Amino acid sequence: MSTDPGIKALFEPNSVAIIGATPTPDKIGNRIMDNIVHYLVGETDKSKGFQGKIFPVHPKAEEIMGLKAYKSILDVPDEVDQAIIVVPPQFVISVLHECGKKGVKAAVIITAGFGETGKKDAEQEIVKIAQSYNMRIVGPNCLGIYNPHIQFNGTFADEAPQKGTLAFISQSGALCISAILHSNKVGIGYSHFISIGNKADVDDADLLEYFADDYKTKCIGLYVESMPDGRKFFEEAKKITWRQPIVVLKSGRTSYGAAAASSHTGSISTQDASYEAAFKQAGVYRAKEWFELFDVAQAFSTQLPPDGEKIAILSNAGGIIVISADKAADVGLKLATLSEETIAKINEVCPPTWSKQNPVDIIGDADHVRFRKVLQILVDAPEVDGVCPLFNPGSRAVPDKVADAIYQVSTTTKKPIVCAFVGMDHLEAFKWLNYKGIPTLPSAERAVIAMKALVDRGKFLRRENVDSLTKKYEGCK
Amino acid sequence: MDEINKIFEEVKGQGRNVLTYEESRKVMELAGVPLNKIEVGKNLDECIAKANEIGYPVVLKVISEDIIHKTEAGGVKVGIKSDSELKKAYEEMMESVTTYHPGAKIDGFSIEEMVSGVEVLVGQTTDPQFGKMIAFGIGGIFVEVYKDVSFRLIPISENDVEEMYCEIKGRKMLEGFRGMPALKMNDLKSLLLNISKLVENHPEIKEMDLNPVMVTKEGLKAIDARIILE
Repeated sequence: MSTDPGIKALFEPNSVAIIGATPTPDKIGNRIMDNIVHYLVGETDKSKGFQGKIFPVHPKAEEIMGLKAYKSILDVPDEVDQAIIVVPPQFVISVLHECGKKGVKAAVIITAGFGETGKKDAEQEIVKIAQSYNMRIVGPNCLGIYNPHIQFNGTFADEAPQKGTLAFISQSGALCISAILHSNKVGIGYSHFISIGNKADVDDADLLEYFADDYKTKCIGLYVESMPDGRKFFEEAKKITWRQPIVVLKSGRTSYGAAAASSHTGSISTQDASYEAAFKQAGVYRAKEWFELFDVAQAFSTQLPPDGEKIAILSNAGGIIVISADKAADVGLKLATLSEETIAKINEVCPPTWSKQNPVDIIGDADHVRFRKVLQILVDAPEVDGVCPLFNPGSRAVPDKVADAIYQVSTTTKKPIVCAFVGMDHLEAFKWLNYKGIPTLPSAERAVIAMKALVDRGKFLRRENVDSLTKKYEGCK
Repeated sequence: MDEINKIFEEVKGQGRNVLTYEESRKVMELAGVPLNKIEVGKNLDECIAKANEIGYPVVLKVISEDIIHKTEAGGVKVGIKSDSELKKAYEEMMESVTTYHPGAKIDGFSIEEMVSGVEVLVGQTTDPQFGKMIAFGIGGIFVEVYKDVSFRLIPISENDVEEMYCEIKGRKMLEGFRGMPALKMNDLKSLLLNISKLVENHPEIKEMDLNPVMVTKEGLKAIDARIILE
């Protein structure tokens, strides 16, 4: 499989030109320069930025941020892998031609004012230029691209994501910033992060294979509003979901033409039903809500899917036990029936008032030791395929110690663990667990949903490995 | 050119894109879709002979280009269980049809196998983003009310059929509910895979409906078919 050099240049450039770079502070062309030179994660952590070659392009300036500036990209003496374009819309086409002549592998058009404002012709022109120079083009109308592993922030947003294993594609630029702020707060890291804009040339499907082949990436997440070539996405996704999980939030669920359809099937088929079908058939997990997208992506990128479908839940709060049991029933998460042996083992480490069944209520006076012992018994139990420890703070147990207990147990098992630290009060413990690769969420319900996603992924993988012709139908599960 | 193409060419040649009931049935038959039996009789004796061939109960329908609304004209009789009932239905039909449409030219009568059971729908549609889609779900006249239908992109696999089935909320109805015949997974697979293949080989098919398809003891039987070309 050969990687498209244009796609590679988007995420692993050796050199980058910023066309529209400017020495004037606070202009977008200045902020991008600053972000390329400094990689900012959090408010104080202003670490070194992109280490490749940086070529600011500006009609008059001699120098920007200590770097020699060029009047045109054609004046740059070196090869340019990626060009970031932030010139006013009327200059974009001519700048693109120059990039093409220069042999730039990929261009990112930050500039807005194309298809999204009805200027479809200009967008068509962009596609033609991409094809004629064999240059890949992202955007127009996007925030830019990050690769945290090489401290590359080619966007005009100051805040950058931290290193991790999630590759993320967003059709909304504004939501990129929300995603990064949330992720930095709770401890989710990224392998790649791209604001894909109007998708004139590069679309979601073009990136899937690159992400699937990337060893740092463990999950692909997408925020999608429209998918003009749904069939292409389906075909690409279908090729990779068996080796790389994909989580998508597809918004916009309006029905089309239902009234005009002339068959029964036509009248009940909606655009959303088609997306739903395509995602299911391709093995793509469809999140219904914004945070679910990150919860599930985090679970997929850190945990192995369970071999079976029976999950155990434990908590130190009776209320959480009931809430999580309800949510499990709602989403169809199956709870393991504990064996007599398991119950006997828990009897030895819990007061007699514990629930004696799954979900396992270890009682409000539980400390981190009881938490660890019961969690260990559950992950070791053969009837249990995965565990959700749901911690309710404010009781005897110290959050940091509970977090450590969960981490210690996680190192002894391949079974998935998805935690909740209910509320956002113990952010340090919370964040630490996420860094350690244990997905930790602020509510019991969200943990249950993420665990169900892992169970479904396990079922999907088992299905993919079975020859459908020899398999016997065993009923709906 | 295969026979299905011939039918499509003929339809297009006549400037139509909607196949008649008979044309749709013929295409479905060629595609391996199980249908209820239909025979044609010119007079009462022929009708009785054909009804005995098919086996009672049967439906009797008048065939006449002059009579568009068959039911209103009394041209449809259902649940005919014996020779004598057929004779009675035939005579009543002749009288009401000629009263309703004096001078209508009657080309004959169709005698149709009457099948009962739970009704399912098998269909196909063309999506602007995803192309050819296949549908399966609870059928009958309330399809648009329940919308209990699952979709997949064509071509489909056997696994897809199983998953589509499992997505149907009302699938209990198809599992031998109150002594009604249960749907056999292999029958469903062969029907849906046949439709998937038909559409793959003939992408000029824009939409189709098999609604209802009856779940009977002997397997699935489509009793209505509709095909629309691009």
